[in-house]
Amino acid sequence: MWSVFVLIFIALCLGLAAWLIFLWAVRSGQFDDMEGPKYRMLDDEEDRTGRD
Amino acid sequence: MLKCDHCSLEVAGIKAVIDEINGVKRVFCCNGCRGVFRFISSEGLADFYGRRESSWTPGPPDESPIEFSAFSDSLRPAGAEMEIDVVIDGIRCASCIWLIEKLLLRTGGVNYARVNYATHKAKLRWDPKTTDVSGVLKRIKALGYTPKPSLPGTREEELKAEQRDLLVRFGTAAFFSMQLMLYSVALYAGYFQGIGEKTRLAFQLIALALATPIMFYSGNPFIRGAVRGLKNLSFNMDVLIATGAGSAYLYSIYQIFAGGEVYFDTSAMIITLILLGRYIESGAKGRSSEVITRLLSLNPKEAKVIRRNNEPGTQSTDIHHTLEKENNELPDKEFKLMPISSIKVGDYIQITPGERIPLDGIVTEGASEVDESMLTGESNPVAKGRGSEIFCGTQNLYGSLIFNVKRTGKDTVLSKIITTVENAQARRAPVQALTDRVVGYFVPAVLLLSIITCIVWLVYGRTLEEAVMNAVSVLVIACPCALGLATPLAVLIGTTRGASMGILIKGGDIIERAKRIDTVVLDKTGTITQGRPRLLICKGIGVSDDEALALASSLERSSEHSIAKAIINAVTETTSYAVTDFIAHPGLGVSGKIRGRPVMVGSRAFIQKEMSPDKVDSTIGPVLLSRIKSQELSGSTVIYLLHDGSLTGIFVVSDEIRSEARESVEAMKKTGYDVFMITGDSQETAFSVADSAGIRHDRVMARKSPTEKAEAIKAMQERGRAVMMVGDGINDAPALVQADVGMAMGRATDIALESADMVLMRGCLVLVPDAVKLSKKVYRIIRQNLFWAFIYNIVAVPLAVIGLLHPIVAAVSMTLSSLCVVGNSVRLKRG
Repeated sequence: MWSVFVLIFIALCLGLAAWLIFLWAVRSGQFDDMEGPKYRMLDDEEDRTGRD
Repeated sequence: MLKCDHCSLEVAGIKAVIDEINGVKRVFCCNGCRGVFRFISSEGLADFYGRRESSWTPGPPDESPIEFSAFSDSLRPAGAEMEIDVVIDGIRCASCIWLIEKLLLRTGGVNYARVNYATHKAKLRWDPKTTDVSGVLKRIKALGYTPKPSLPGTREEELKAEQRDLLVRFGTAAFFSMQLMLYSVALYAGYFQGIGEKTRLAFQLIALALATPIMFYSGNPFIRGAVRGLKNLSFNMDVLIATGAGSAYLYSIYQIFAGGEVYFDTSAMIITLILLGRYIESGAKGRSSEVITRLLSLNPKEAKVIRRNNEPGTQSTDIHHTLEKENNELPDKEFKLMPISSIKVGDYIQITPGERIPLDGIVTEGASEVDESMLTGESNPVAKGRGSEIFCGTQNLYGSLIFNVKRTGKDTVLSKIITTVENAQARRAPVQALTDRVVGYFVPAVLLLSIITCIVWLVYGRTLEEAVMNAVSVLVIACPCALGLATPLAVLIGTTRGASMGILIKGGDIIERAKRIDTVVLDKTGTITQGRPRLLICKGIGVSDDEALALASSLERSSEHSIAKAIINAVTETTSYAVTDFIAHPGLGVSGKIRGRPVMVGSRAFIQKEMSPDKVDSTIGPVLLSRIKSQELSGSTVIYLLHDGSLTGIFVVSDEIRSEARESVEAMKKTGYDVFMITGDSQETAFSVADSAGIRHDRVMARKSPTEKAEAIKAMQERGRAVMMVGDGINDAPALVQADVGMAMGRATDIALESADMVLMRGCLVLVPDAVKLSKKVYRIIRQNLFWAFIYNIVAVPLAVIGLLHPIVAAVSMTLSSLCVVGNSVRLKRG
C-alpha cells in the first residue's frame, strides 16, 4: 500500500511540474502568436532573430 | 495587358517600365516598383516573389510621410538598446512578414525584429549608436508598408491581458482536472469492486485538495459574476455555473464526512469546459483595433499659420522662408508652425502639396485638387479653388492652398463622424445571446425543482439532512458542462469556415443578428460600383481611335489624376509621344505640346476656352452627341481631346458597376431580402446605377450625407426591419454601426473596417447572401448544441429527485453531452 502513496506523490509532483512549465510558457509569451510558427518553420535560413 | 513583376498591377505597354535585373527582363508599372524590385533583389531577398500567395492583389500605394513624433511615446530603452512596438499596416500574407523581418535584420544596428502574425504588431530592438527610430521605420516604409504607433493602454492591450488571464485560469483548471480524474476513476472502480475505507478517504481528500484551486482560482470569475447576478436578481450563466460547480463541491465535502460518494470531478469539469469555451470565444473575437484613435493620432499636429500682421513679436526664420519659396506658388506670405490645438477659427493656414488638411475651412487663395476619398469614399479628387470648402483629414494633392479656418477640434466633419461611430458603438444594445436566454429560464426552474424535492422528502417524513442532500444533488446534476462549449465551438468553426470563403465575422453575437436580417442596404460607390473609373468609350474624330488614345495618354502620363489613370490603363499599344510644355489645370484638364502642336485634354469647360460650344457639338455629330449625353446622365465623365485647335477625340470614363452586382442583387431578392441602394451622389447617377444593378427606383436613397445614411437606416429599423448595411467608405461608417449588421468590402477604409461586423475579404458582392446563409446555419447548429448539452442532464434529474444519483451518472452525462456538442459543431466544417 505504501508504494501506491509514493507513486501518487510522484504523479502529483509531475503534474505540478507540468503546471509550472505551463505558467512559465504563458508568462514568456509562448502563446502570444499562434499563427507564426507554422510559417517560420519553413524558413531554413539561419535565424538571427535571437531568443527573447 | 502586361503585368507588373513587382505589384501584379495590369500595365499598358505604353506605360510599362522595362528593366533588366540579374539578367532577366522585367516589366514594371512604374519606376517606383522597379526601384523596390531592384532594392529587394539587391538585398538578396528576391525569394519574396516566389513566396507570396497567388491571390495577392495590390492596394493603392501610401505616399504620405512618416510622422516620427507619433512614435516617441512608444519608444523605450531595453538595456543598452532601444525598443519599440509598432503596428505595421499593409501586411497581407505570411511572405510580407518574412520580408519585413529579414530586411530589418539586415539593417545595421537592428538586433531583434519579430512581427506577430495575428496582430501585425512588430517588436523591434536596435542599437541606438548605429541607427535610430526613423532609420528603422524608413526601412519598413521603403518596402511599402506603413508603420503606425502602437498605443499602450488601449483596448487591444486590455483584451490581450484578459485573454492571457483566461488562458492561465483554463490551463490551471485543465492540469488539476487531469490529476483529479485519476483519483475519480479510482473511486469509481472502488464503488464497483470494493475499496478499503481508509484508501477511499485518502483518495477523496486528495481529490478535494486538487479540486479546491479549480473551484476558487479558476472558478473565481464565475463566483464573482454569480454574486453580481444574484444581487440584480438576474439568473445568468455565471449563476448556473457557480451553483452547479459550487453545490457539487460543497456536497462532496459533506459526503467525505458522511461516507458517501464525491462529485469533485463534476465541479472541476464544469469549470474547465466553460473556461475552454470562453477562451475559444475570446480568440474568435478577432483583432480588435484602435483604428479610431490611430486615425486621429496621424492627423497633423502642427500647421503653418500665416502670420497675422497685427500680431506682435512673431519671428520669421530664414529657413521657413526659403522652404516656402521652394514649395509654394504664393511666396509673399510668411508662416509660423503652430500646434493645431492653439489654432482658432478665423486663422489662415497654408497647405503645401501632399499635406493633410488639419482643420475644416474655406479656401481663400490658390488652386489644387484634394483627395477626399477617406471622408466621402468617392475616388475622384475634388478640385478646390477660392471659396471651396475643405475638410480636416483629407489630403491635398497638387497645388498650394491658403484657407481660412472655420471649424476646429470636435466641430470638424471628421471628428463628428468619429463621434457618431463611437456613440453608436456604445449605444448598440448587445443582443442577449441565445444561451443567456435559455439559462434565464433554466436556472429558476432548477432552483424551484430543488426546493420542491426538499419539501417532498420532508413531507414523506425523511430527515432534514437527507432532504437537503437530495435537493442539492438536483443542483449538481442539472448544470450541463457542455453548455459552455455549445456556442463558442459552433461560432469558432463557423467563423473559420467563413474566413475560408472570404467572409470575416467579428463575433458570435453577429451571427444571431445576421439571421434576422430582412433588408439589405447597399452603398453605391465601391460597393455596387468598382470604385475605380475605367475608360468606356474612346472615339477619334478625324483620326483613328487608337491615335486619339495615344495622343491623350501621352499627355495624361504626367498626371496623377484618377481619370488620367483610366485613360492610360486602357492603352494597349506602345506608341507614345514626347510631351513638352506640360501644364496641369486642376479640375479642368491638362495641356502641352506634342511635336510642337498644342494639345489639350480635359473637361468640356476646359476646351470651350478654345472652341465655341456650337462648334464642339457640330464636330461631334448628333449620333455621338446623344450617346455622350446619355452617358453623362448616367454619371460618367466625358473627356475631350483638342489637337492643334481642332476636336480630335472623345473619351467617356465611368465608374463601372461590378460585374456580379446584378446577379448578386437578384440572389438577395430571391432569398427574400428587400434590397435598397444608398448614396451621397445625385438622383440621376443613383437611378442609372440602380437600373443596371436591378434595384427599383423607389428603393434608391440619393444625396445622403454620412449621418443621414445612418438616420435612414434607423428609420427603417423603427419600422421593424432588421437591416444589413454594406459599404466601404468612412462616409458609410455611421450607417455600418447603426445597422443590425454592418458589412464592409475588402478595400474599405480603416474606419469602415472598424465599424463593420463582417468584412468581405474579396470585394465580391456574391458573398453577401453567402454570409447570411452561413450565419443562419451556425445559428441552427448552436440551437442543436444547446439541446444536446441539456438533454442528458435533464434526463438524469429525476434520478436526483428520487435520491438515486451517483457520480457515474454525472460523469456519463457530462461526457455524452460534450461529445455530442463537439461532433455536431464539426458538421459546420462541411459544406
